[in-house]
Amino acid sequence: MNFELNEDQAALAESLSRLLADRYGFEKRRALTASGAAHDEKTWAGLAELGLTALPVPEALGGFGGGARDLLPAMQAFGRSLSMEPFLASAVLAGTALRLGADEAMQTRLLPGMASGEIVSAWAHDEPAGRHAPLWVETRAERKDGGWKLDGIKSNVPAGGLARYFVVSARIAGAPADANGCALFLVDAKDAGVALREFRLVDDTAAGELVLTQAAAQPLANPEDSTRTRLAIQGTVAAGIAAVCADMSGAAQAAFDLAMDYLRTRKQFGRLIGENQALRHRASEMLVSLEMARSMAMAAAVAADDASAEDSAPDLHRAKLSVARNARNVALGAIQLHGGIGMTEEYAVGHYLRRIHVLDQMFGDADAHAARLAAALL
Amino acid sequence: MDLDLTPEQRAFRDEVRTFIREKLPSEIRERLRAGHPPRKQDTVAWQRILNERGWAAPHWPKRYGGADLGPMERLILLDEAYRAPAPLPQAFNVGMLGPVLMKFGTPAQCDHFLPRLANLDIWFCQGFSEPGSGSDLASLRTAARREGDHYIVNGQKIWTTTAHLADWVFALVRTDTEARKQEGISFLLIDLRTPGITIRPIHSIDGEHHLNEVFFDEVRVPVGNLVGQENKGWDCAKFLLSNERTGIANVGLCRERLDYARELAGRYTQAGKPLLDDPKLRADIAMLEAETRALEITNWRFLLTDSEQKRLPAFASVLKLKGTELQQEINALLARIVGPGGLERRSADEVTHGPIAPRYFLSRAASIYGGTTEVQKDILAKAIVG
Ligand SMILES: Cc1cc2nc3c(=O)[nH]c(=O)nc-3n(C[C@H](O)[C@H](O)[C@H](O)COP(=O)(O)OP(=O)(O)OC[C@H]3O[C@@H](n4cnc5c(N)ncnc54)[C@H](O)[C@@H]3O)c2cc1C
Ligand SMILES: Cc1cc2nc3c(=O)[nH]c(=O)nc-3n(C[C@H](O)[C@H](O)[C@H](O)COP(=O)(O)OP(=O)(O)OC[C@H]3O[C@@H](n4cnc5c(N)ncnc54)[C@H](O)[C@@H]3O)c2cc1C
Repeated sequence: MNFELNEDQAALAESLSRLLADRYGFEKRRALTASGAAHDEKTWAGLAELGLTALPVPEALGGFGGGARDLLPAMQAFGRSLSMEPFLASAVLAGTALRLGADEAMQTRLLPGMASGEIVSAWAHDEPAGRHAPLWVETRAERKDGGWKLDGIKSNVPAGGLARYFVVSARIAGAPADANGCALFLVDAKDAGVALREFRLVDDTAAGELVLTQAAAQPLANPEDSTRTRLAIQGTVAAGIAAVCADMSGAAQAAFDLAMDYLRTRKQFGRLIGENQALRHRASEMLVSLEMARSMAMAAAVAADDASAEDSAPDLHRAKLSVARNARNVALGAIQLHGGIGMTEEYAVGHYLRRIHVLDQMFGDADAHAARLAAALL
Repeated sequence: MDLDLTPEQRAFRDEVRTFIREKLPSEIRERLRAGHPPRKQDTVAWQRILNERGWAAPHWPKRYGGADLGPMERLILLDEAYRAPAPLPQAFNVGMLGPVLMKFGTPAQCDHFLPRLANLDIWFCQGFSEPGSGSDLASLRTAARREGDHYIVNGQKIWTTTAHLADWVFALVRTDTEARKQEGISFLLIDLRTPGITIRPIHSIDGEHHLNEVFFDEVRVPVGNLVGQENKGWDCAKFLLSNERTGIANVGLCRERLDYARELAGRYTQAGKPLLDDPKLRADIAMLEAETRALEITNWRFLLTDSEQKRLPAFASVLKLKGTELQQEINALLARIVGPGGLERRSADEVTHGPIAPRYFLSRAASIYGGTTEVQKDILAKAIVG
């Protein structure tokens, strides 16, 4: 057993933390959201320079072939700095879907550009009626004039407005909940019939609702190969779960650090508030939660990388459930320890609750994963 | 022992319910139901309608615009307002300042201010907290020095809810810097149009503007605006903070939000089925309803027991602690129910899509304002352990 980062991982985490400290300090982030920008272009360029956008891309296509373990420290750093960069959407989600679901020609066409950060893609899978059901797809694909056309709505597409391409799940056969009958398609954001309603989520990050009306689409691979599609979707969701678990644990760490600093500086009744046992106990409980979150973020990374290992799926569900719950507890405690200042947009600590709340709702919330684990008990 | 309303109380409840049904504009009702906070114009319009009946400040004497109602009738009015849902009477005016004036104010202050407070002709806000003085309120430093017929006020308040909408602020200021910290404080009424006052917005975690900083720079306040005696303002503050007990548990709010949770859980679907089909969610709702019922009966017991001897000491802290916890759990439940559908940040003009997730974030303030949860527990512990 080994819980440490290797040399490469540690070096990358170090450079990334420096980049984010420089470009994503809380005041800079506030200015960024106030400007209406969806992300910071210079940071994105910096991520490409560090090789981060190339990290999950296979070596043959200009990347480093990294897995969820390699991404763990990076995602934690994104969580700590409340990043709004389209890294999860493009490098993790769309990248994984292409790697697992696309034929060689399509991979060769897209992944080198995504590795260099020049192409941003987005993963468009969730639908409003499916909510937390992992494989609910109503979007229809039909063959027309030698090509494919898509009709349907994809909700909360992360970084939708920044994407040049969407990787979209659509149904060629069967009912919405069927495990088979789906295929993955590439949709060009500039094509006719592709409309994106852009908005901000409650944590300030950019997302959009993708409305496809007879939109031209290219299958990633043989659309009849339902099994491959299902595995690609599951693998993408697994990578997403590992990434957001890491992100939430990083966010919780930052909220925790802020609160501990505050306990050591804020005075009321003529002494540091950290001298009050009630608050010291709350701090201890928060530390317990934080450590649970960190452990399960590791479990999620390992489970996502070793998807074939027998008990990987239960650990993914357990991790998503447990990290969300524990990270949320840390954020709630951190706000309480701050009193009034914890309730404002002008101070960072409340933003961590907003981020954790949003990430909890992605790839199934804590309830959904508990229900899946519960069903497996029977 | 019984837990029923008397026939008179039931008749009163029906009267209130009918009144609200007939008079409350449906647009206001829909906004509140969806989870929007009431807008100023809604609170003003509704309070004036209530005031015609003496129901804006029902516990005040009739001569000041109240209806001389007892605690149960007042609770009924409050519960029915939540049930509708309707805006509540503006709390700074009706629940806080009004009773302080009746206890400590001059007859002239009462005659001038009370009818205007009840009719919301004047909107007051509360200027107690300062950057360095939150839980330790008595350490406040905003200073007032006497110059002839005026106090000259210098300093800063923070977290002043609705200062940007308000006409006046009631503030605690230091008039004696030598005395023990509780003994040099005075209670002043300050017109916010006075030169030297600057109000800066603070956006809260829900993205909205409720809170403010208020700066005072050589602000001249007539000595006639002092309430009670100079340097005895802490008595007014203590009275104000402990007087407002009827609404402290927020039982009606819990009940209304739980009803809304049921409604939404019937409307939202997951993979084609209403969320209400999920037994786990139903059990969670049932649990919170049971807790709300327990709080309701406790609230009645504490508020309607007429002898002080039979009352639990510091009972208001029991109500505040439990009410806060329930409100926060119910808001979390609502955010869970809307789920991914509640992640989009929407504008306040979208009446039907209320800010459910932002209200969940904001609900965390309930364990901070009005005495933090830690402070409430200390008060209780002192009462029970010594
Ligand atoms: C099943 C069992 C097995 C044990 N086995 C052993 C053993 O093998 N060898 C041995 O030497 N002892 C043993 N003990 C004794 C054990 O270590 C003591 O019970 C323990 O140290 C607590 O001391 P106390 O019982 O005197 O309680 P107290 O110390 O009097 O504590 C009473 C309560 O006050 C709280 N408290 C005390 N101080 C503080 C503080 N500063 N802040 C906040 N709260 C405080 C405690 O948490 C507790 O809730 C055992 C006890 C139990 C119950
Ligand atoms: C939404 C909102 C609206 C508000 N509206 C108003 C308003 O209209 N007017 C107004 O005057 N004020 C208002 N307040 C301010 C509110 O009363 C204060 O925030 C509150 O008193 C806490 O003070 P603080 O924020 O300075 O926190 P602090 O007192 O600094 O507390 C920080 C943390 O330390 C804890 N703590 C402090 N002392 C102790 C102790 N002795 N033992 C254990 N724990 C302790 C607290 O519980 C808290 O967890 C509002 C606050 C909020 C959040």
